[in-house]
Amino acid sequence: MGQRILSQMKNMKLIFQLCLWAAIISGCTVDDEYNESPRRNFDAFWQLIDENYCFFEYKNVDWNAVYEEYSPLISDSSNQYDLFRTLANMADELQDGHINITSFYAFSAYEGWHSEYPSNLNWNVIQTYLEGSQRTGDYDEIRYKTLSDGKIGYIYYGSFHESILETELNKIFDSFANCNGLIIDVRNNGGGSLTNSDRLAARFTDKRVHCGYILHKTGKGHNDFSEPYPLYLEPYSIGHLWLKPVIVLTNRRCYSAGNNFVSKVGILPNVTTLGDTTGGGSGFPLTSELPNGWRVRFSSSPILDVNKQQTEFGVAPNIPVALDPADEERHLDTLIETAIQILSGAQ
Amino acid sequence: MGILILFACSQSGLTQIDTLALRAMDEATSFGFGSYQLKDTYLSPFIYQGWGGRILNERVTWLQSKLSRQRIIGVDLATTKNPAENVNDFGIFVDYSHAYHYNVFNGNDFNILFGASASIMGGFIYNTRNGNNPLSAKADVSLSLSLMLMYTLWINEAPVTLRYQGMLPVAGLFFAPPYGASYYEMFNEGNLSDVLAFNSFHNKLGLTNYVTIDIPIYTQTLRLGYLYSYYTTDVHSIQTRIFSNTLLIGWVKEFYLK
Repeated sequence: MGQRILSQMKNMKLIFQLCLWAAIISGCTVDDEYNESPRRNFDAFWQLIDENYCFFEYKNVDWNAVYEEYSPLISDSSNQYDLFRTLANMADELQDGHINITSFYAFSAYEGWHSEYPSNLNWNVIQTYLEGSQRTGDYDEIRYKTLSDGKIGYIYYGSFHESILETELNKIFDSFANCNGLIIDVRNNGGGSLTNSDRLAARFTDKRVHCGYILHKTGKGHNDFSEPYPLYLEPYSIGHLWLKPVIVLTNRRCYSAGNNFVSKVGILPNVTTLGDTTGGGSGFPLTSELPNGWRVRFSSSPILDVNKQQTEFGVAPNIPVALDPADEERHLDTLIETAIQILSGAQ
Repeated sequence: MGILILFACSQSGLTQIDTLALRAMDEATSFGFGSYQLKDTYLSPFIYQGWGGRILNERVTWLQSKLSRQRIIGVDLATTKNPAENVNDFGIFVDYSHAYHYNVFNGNDFNILFGASASIMGGFIYNTRNGNNPLSAKADVSLSLSLMLMYTLWINEAPVTLRYQGMLPVAGLFFAPPYGASYYEMFNEGNLSDVLAFNSFHNKLGLTNYVTIDIPIYTQTLRLGYLYSYYTTDVHSIQTRIFSNTLLIGWVKEFYLK
């Protein structure tokens, strides 16, 4: 009996030692803890952008030099406001509206892609055109009506954050059954979901159209990129297509998915772009964070046009047209009026 | 605990049996709760920590006197926070393993079993704040080595079975998106090149330590357990870690074959 107990104790000791060994091997972890240190967060931001941002070479930005310039501004005696301001200014060196820092109290965004240019959109004037329009989408960002005695359809799509269902698009195109031309107004469309912009673009072609390329980072080096992968616009196959003339109105506030929409539909034979160069924003953005919990968004994957050219700084219109102050005085939108003239002439 | 075991065994009326010979099939269902760590540098460079639950169903069938088959299905749910505690990562993982063990040492009360398993795991980590990269999907098929130590402790002539099992993945395939590839590019646009990777010790380390105590109580068997699961990968410069310590409680159904 005594020998049996002794034997059991030896066996239990062996099991315990094996368990301990296994736990030690698998349990070694180094935790990254919450850290408010301005220096630590400054370095973390610089490194995050250094390893993930996709336009260093295209924009000819020396990120090491940026570090040298801004690093002396931050020490551990700096406060959180100094840190936020310094990081925002550092990010602005990249001239990219897709780089955003969100702290607990503020949001940074580079505005240079539109702030230094005329808006070419007067909301008071647009309201007169939208009077009596139908609305769709959860946030009423999509409005539509007919102009020119029902001969021309008009859609204002203010944000591609606003989803639109295929059934809603069918309803819109039903209401344009007697129209001979269509105006898609994406001025001030600051972007959103590429799925939404593609869904609308797919209505304007009956063929699969090669419309661009996408690349992604394959490593942390500034030039570590994959081969360009071709992007295609697939036609909507089970409902209304619009193959008659389309004019897309653009301005500098047309950004990101809005910019991508203009780049894609601009190559279609029945589509003409009119207005100002778009704002750009062709880097597909991803999100990460800093040790202090601030959110950081950055451009990660460049989307090129069909000629493998960057559209990060915008897409030029086929027909440049600016808002005429004299028209504004008369509550007329120069871009819409020009589009109506062109579409009426084409009928 | 000792009092509970003594009381339980004295009431159970079980006779001394050779558990390995007669327990032809055991099915155990356990529920667990414990601490979790999630890290996926596709979502964030930081470790998110929190809590989670696990459901585990295990079936062990003795195919021959020394050969057993073990099937385990597990479901993990975890909710974790970043170091600043202002963002959540939710993890959901489902795994299934199919193992065969050979009894390499058969003592009176102590047995050592060694074997191999094929396992499949799928799931995702969801970050509540990220925009275009809110989710990191996990899919992994692997072959593992498995070591099981079983010890039967006799209390009031009733068997209390202690078990340790360690499982070490050796090689397999897993879903490993390229460093900066977006899910939009992979799944909307269909660029799935380089998303599958061979894995072994050079890019993946996993270890599962599973300790159970089966305590007979009347005609039932209570299972108490502890599961230490460590899964870490480093591929395409994306590091992942899924780490948990879980305490389990469940019951065992025993099917005897003549």
